[in-house]
Order: sequence, then structure tokens, then C-alpha cells
Amino acid sequence: MLHLNVNILNAGVFGGSWRFPGTDGTASYTIEHYTSIAKKAEEAKLDAVFLADGPALDPGIKHRTGNNFEPTTVLARIAARTERIGLIGTLSSSYNDPVELARRLGDLDHVSGGRFGWNVVTTAGPVAARNFGRDGEIDHAVRYQRAAWFTQQVVAAWASRTRFASPQGRPVVVQAGGSSDGRRLASRVAEVVFSADQDLEHARAFRAEIRAGAVQFGRDPAEIVVLPGLSTVVGSTETEAKRRRELLDELLPDAYGRGRLAAQLGISLDGLRDDEPIPAGLLVEPDEAGGSQTFYRVVKEIIDRENPTLGTLLKRLSGGGGHRIVTGTPEQIADDIETWYRAGAADGFNVMPDVLPSGFDDFADHVVPELRRRGLFRTDYDGTTLRAHLGLGLPALEGAA
Amino acid sequence: MSTIVQLVLAVGDRVSLSEASALTALARDSGVAAIRLADTPDTLDPTVTASHLAGVHSGIGFVAEVPTTHHAPYNTARRVSSLDRATGGRAGIALLAGDGDEVSDATAPDPAAADPARRWSEYAGVLTRLWESFPRQALIGDQEAALVVREELIRPVGHDGVYYRVAGPLDGPSSAQGRPVVVADLGVLDPAAVAESADVVVVEHAAGADDALTEALRAVGRDRREVTLLGRVPVGSPADVLAWVHEHRLDGVELVPAGGAAEVAAVLRAWATEAAPPPTLRAALGLRAEVAA
Ligand SMILES: Cc1cc2nc3c(=O)[nH]c(=O)nc-3n(C[C@H](O)[C@H](O)[C@H](O)COP(=O)(O)O)c2cc1C
Repeated sequence: MLHLNVNILNAGVFGGSWRFPGTDGTASYTIEHYTSIAKKAEEAKLDAVFLADGPALDPGIKHRTGNNFEPTTVLARIAARTERIGLIGTLSSSYNDPVELARRLGDLDHVSGGRFGWNVVTTAGPVAARNFGRDGEIDHAVRYQRAAWFTQQVVAAWASRTRFASPQGRPVVVQAGGSSDGRRLASRVAEVVFSADQDLEHARAFRAEIRAGAVQFGRDPAEIVVLPGLSTVVGSTETEAKRRRELLDELLPDAYGRGRLAAQLGISLDGLRDDEPIPAGLLVEPDEAGGSQTFYRVVKEIIDRENPTLGTLLKRLSGGGGHRIVTGTPEQIADDIETWYRAGAADGFNVMPDVLPSGFDDFADHVVPELRRRGLFRTDYDGTTLRAHLGLGLPALEGAA
Repeated sequence: MSTIVQLVLAVGDRVSLSEASALTALARDSGVAAIRLADTPDTLDPTVTASHLAGVHSGIGFVAEVPTTHHAPYNTARRVSSLDRATGGRAGIALLAGDGDEVSDATAPDPAAADPARRWSEYAGVLTRLWESFPRQALIGDQEAALVVREELIRPVGHDGVYYRVAGPLDGPSSAQGRPVVVADLGVLDPAAVAESADVVVVEHAAGADDALTEALRAVGRDRREVTLLGRVPVGSPADVLAWVHEHRLDGVELVPAGGAAEVAAVLRAWATEAAPPPTLRAALGLRAEVAA
């Protein structure tokens, strides 16, 4: 069975989402934005809501709304207002204390009746680092060494917890970060992998690699759910969907798109005109990049393959960073989802609507029923926990065998 | 001004989560200003619990106990600020004096420094400045001009102290009450340590507390009326407690019932007053409607 989460990325994945006609531009600064989308996701029987996060103010804030609520407080509130939907929150392994995090996340799992999943990330960038006493980003390899140690501490603390038991045993471990270090961590600890991929064959190989790696760690590959991010632009006709996409491209604040791309590639784009190609000579191999090697690779592959002008590339990414974008009718989007799913490129998707809430309303009202008609998606929840929705058992403790 | 009541609940220990939910409604209807969520090894995490209870019941404040131990200040600032905005300006923190955390210790400017009271003062100062670093007036969301914020109103804090280095600014705007309320317990902390940052001071030994606090506040250029002084009591007959409050010029009480849900409910009924819920926690605690941010 296909798995679907909705990624409530503030106003939507597109950089111009907050400016979309009929959208309240600052709604994502109110808690109701998150609780009402979560309720809608529960009505649509999705597996979970997903919250990305980082402990810093996004330098692009001037031109694009940013994440601005801390995930455990948001998810504790959503838990109070919903009954079944899973609750996945991103919490940094780089800038948290493992004792504190294990307790807080374990308690959130208990409070929510066993619906919580922890997305382990290694926080990139100098801006977050400076909020924790550092002058710059921690080295990529060091971040991942710490992540492995950190996750082990947290999972062991959950396993030894008796006071506030959770119906799902312990929170589901989710992982995002697809560099070689990230893939190794995923094979070792992840029960759900949030990935980024533009290409079906690549995604298939990625999933196969994670599963094979899991076997090496003595795990059952069937106990890993791989969910690529999928940005959606839904229209009732193909023309309408394309128009929506074009409008979003127009609404993308140029300074935001350039700033984000420059940060992602770690190069300056100052002075480069929109009609000039990206100077490929400035790019290093992804394994040598800092920040996020995954998103670096995704963008570099587009540049290598298509040699786009800066303007074309900015439109192609539309401020979304590199997740795949599908634009079309509900049937066309369902076709795409079905193709990836049947090809073994994905166990489902972390759906990233273009604009929130409207893009998600369209997805829930039109794409989900189409997936149901094809027998790909549940008509109701079977269980009450996130583990049950994902079809996951309770894994043995790492190193305990 | 009527007597301010803050109720302490140990959720997960003496009362269950569902009992706490029922007590929250009763407390609100009894005119209680805030529920303070205790943090002990036997309680559920107070920020999670506060956020959850606030998702069920509105109209009452929540003060989460958070120790400095295991919590980096930037994380605490974000989390309590999120709670404050989610509750429409009805959140606070009772910052407990303690040690450092695994993340901050790795970069501590002076690794040998370990005085809980000094750490508290520095930590509380970082919190309040972070909470003022992104004033909500900065958030304009001008869709036409493609401007989310007036960036010039957002200021990093650039804190470089003995225990912590924190750049800031915070990632979200301030709440309807400006910033969350800071509650300080005297004991490990003395009035001088809390004078700069506390909005509420809680004492067990009330004799002389008002004078000592007044003096400490004056030394940092603040007025006694800017701070609410609460006396912590296990409970007793309201008449006796009120006489004690009056005798020592306290502004109110922090009630700490020793028993389970039934006892807490009985205490609430004994203390009930009829008052419409004030618009923010700050107002409920008799503080100025809004602080700088
Ligand atoms: C799909 C995906 C989503 C991610 N989401 C977050 C996030 O919400 N917050 C965060 O701090 N890091 C997130 N990360 C990880 C960061 O990108 C981080 O930079 C990490 O160090 C990059 O790992 P990588 O080099 O393995 O991609 C995500 C990574 C991927 C691939």
C-alpha cells in the first residue's frame, strides 16, 4: 500500500506560494494554518503530517515566508485536535542534547497515543551554527558521525523507558539526507527515508541501495519505507495546471530564488544575467560539497544534463530547492505516482503542495480519491499508530542482537 | 487588584493527562491566571504538555518549567515562543537554575564557569533578548511588493557571554503579549540574580521578600510594579493564605496541591472567583499589557 504524508512547509514549497492570489500571505505564522491542514490530512486518511525544521531564521526571510514554529509544540497541539494522523517532526541531531530530546519526543509519542515520528537530520549551514556558539558549520562528516551516535542514544533511551509507554512502542525513526554518509545512516537506523530525486532510475537505485545496506546491518529491508518529496501543482485541466505553474514562476521573488540557489551551490551568482548559463566550472563534485550534498547533487545533475540559463534554472526549481515537481490533472498526477510506486522507485511520497492550503485541498479532494479508485491508497485507517499506518513493526534495538 | 493565583500541576505524576485537561477547564473557570507545569523525572515534558492542553482549552495561561540543564538557550527560546504564539500570548517559562547542555558545553566561552545563579541570569537575558529580536511589527507580508518582513526591524542579539554565545535572531515574530513571561523561583536564586529578567518571582519564605525584591529591582533601574511577587503555598484555607499574602505585600499565590486530581479540584473550588479571562498571560498576572517587543 502506498504511503502519503503532507509536508506542511509554511506557505507551500514554491518560493512564490505566499503571494498566490487568494492566499493569506502570513497565515503560516498562525497555528491554525497547521492544525487545519492536519485535520484535512486526517480526513483524507494520510499517513502523517510532516514538519521540516531548522534552528535559525532563514536568510531568505525578506522575500519568502519561513518555517517559524518549533515542531514539537505544533505537533502536540495537532495531537490534541486530531485522533489518527501520524505526526512527524524534524529535530536536529547537531544542535540538541540527546537526553532532553529523547525525553521530550518520547513524551510527545505518549501524549499523541503513539503517533509520533522523529526525522533525524544533520543541520547544515553557518546560520544555525552561530546560534549554538560556533563560528561556522560543523564539517559534513562530523555531523554524520554525531548523528549516528546521537540516534543510538535517543533510541536506547526510548527502549529503556517504562514510565510513559506508547502504544507504538517507541517513535518511528525517519531520516533525511541522501549523501553517502546519509545513506549509510539511513540503512542503519531509518524506518522511513525522506529523499529527493528527479529521476526514476536514480530513485530506484537509491531505494535498492538503502534496502541492501539495511540487510548489511542485519535489518529486514521490508521494514524501510522510502518516500521521495513530490511537489504538486494540481489543475482540473492540463491547461489550468500549467497556468497555475506559470503564475507561481512569475510570483517567485527573484532575489529569493537567486539567494537560495547561490546558498545551495555555495557559489556567488552576483553579476550573472538570467540569460547566461550557470558556469559549470565553478561546481565541485557533490561528495566535496558542504551543506546538503543531496540537494547539491540534484541541482548539479540538472545543470550537467541541460546546461540551463540562470533564468531557466530558477524557474525549473521555482524556489523549491530540488524536489521533483509534477504539474497536471489529478489523473496525470496519479499516473506519475503509480508509475514510480510500481517501478519500485518509491514506497509513497512526502507530498509538498505548491501553495498551502489550496494546493493541498486540491490534492486531498481530487488526487487521493483517484489513487483510491486505482486501489493504491487506503479508504480508512486500520490502526491508530503511525507504525500501524506505515505497516512497520517494532524493530530490535540496534546493537542488542 | 485581586489576588493572582497560579496553580502548579505535576502532569503524569500526581495527575494524569486527561485529569489535567479537566482541571485546566476548571482552573480557567475559577479565575486562575496560569497553570504551571512541573518538571520532575516523573512528569511529562512541560512544553509538550502545555501545548497539548492549550490545544484543548483556551483562555488560561501556561507556564512551563524548563531547567537550564540539557537545554540550549536558542532551542528554549524558540520552543517557548512557539507556545506563546500558539496560545495567543498566554505562555511563560519558569526557568530553573541548573547546569549546561551537551550542545552549548562544547562551545562554552568559559568552560570552568559553573555557578547556577550566574548561568540563570545570563540564560534568562538571552531568552528575553531573543524574544525581542523579531518584533511582530516586522512581519508585513506585502504580497504586492514581495516583502515578507521589514528586515531592518529584525536584530540579531550577538550574545557573547561567560556561559553562552548566541547570535540570533529568533525565527518567528513576537506574540500578542510581546514576549513570554519569565518566572523565577527564589532559593538557589537571589533577588539580584533575577532582577533584570524576571516578570514573576516566586518565594516560599515571604518575610522580607517584597523589600528585598524592590531593592534589587531598583538597582537595575526597574520598578517593583513591573514584577509580580507570588508566595508558594501547599494550600490551606483561602482566608489564612490571603492574610499571609496581605501581611507580606505579595501580589498573589502559587498553589501547590499535594494530592491527586480530586484534591486539586477541591482546592480550585475553594479559591474560585468570577472573572472574565484576561486577553494575555501578562494581563492575567497583573503585568503591563505588553513589553518592548
Ligand atoms: C529530503 C531532505 C529533507 C531534509 N530536511 C531537512 C530539514 O527539515 N531540516 C534540516 O536541518 N535538514 C534537512 N535535511 C538535511 C539537510 O539537508 C542537511 O544539510 C544535511 O546535512 C544534508 O545531508 P546530505 O548531505 O546527506 O544531503 C534534509 C535532507 C533531505 C535530503
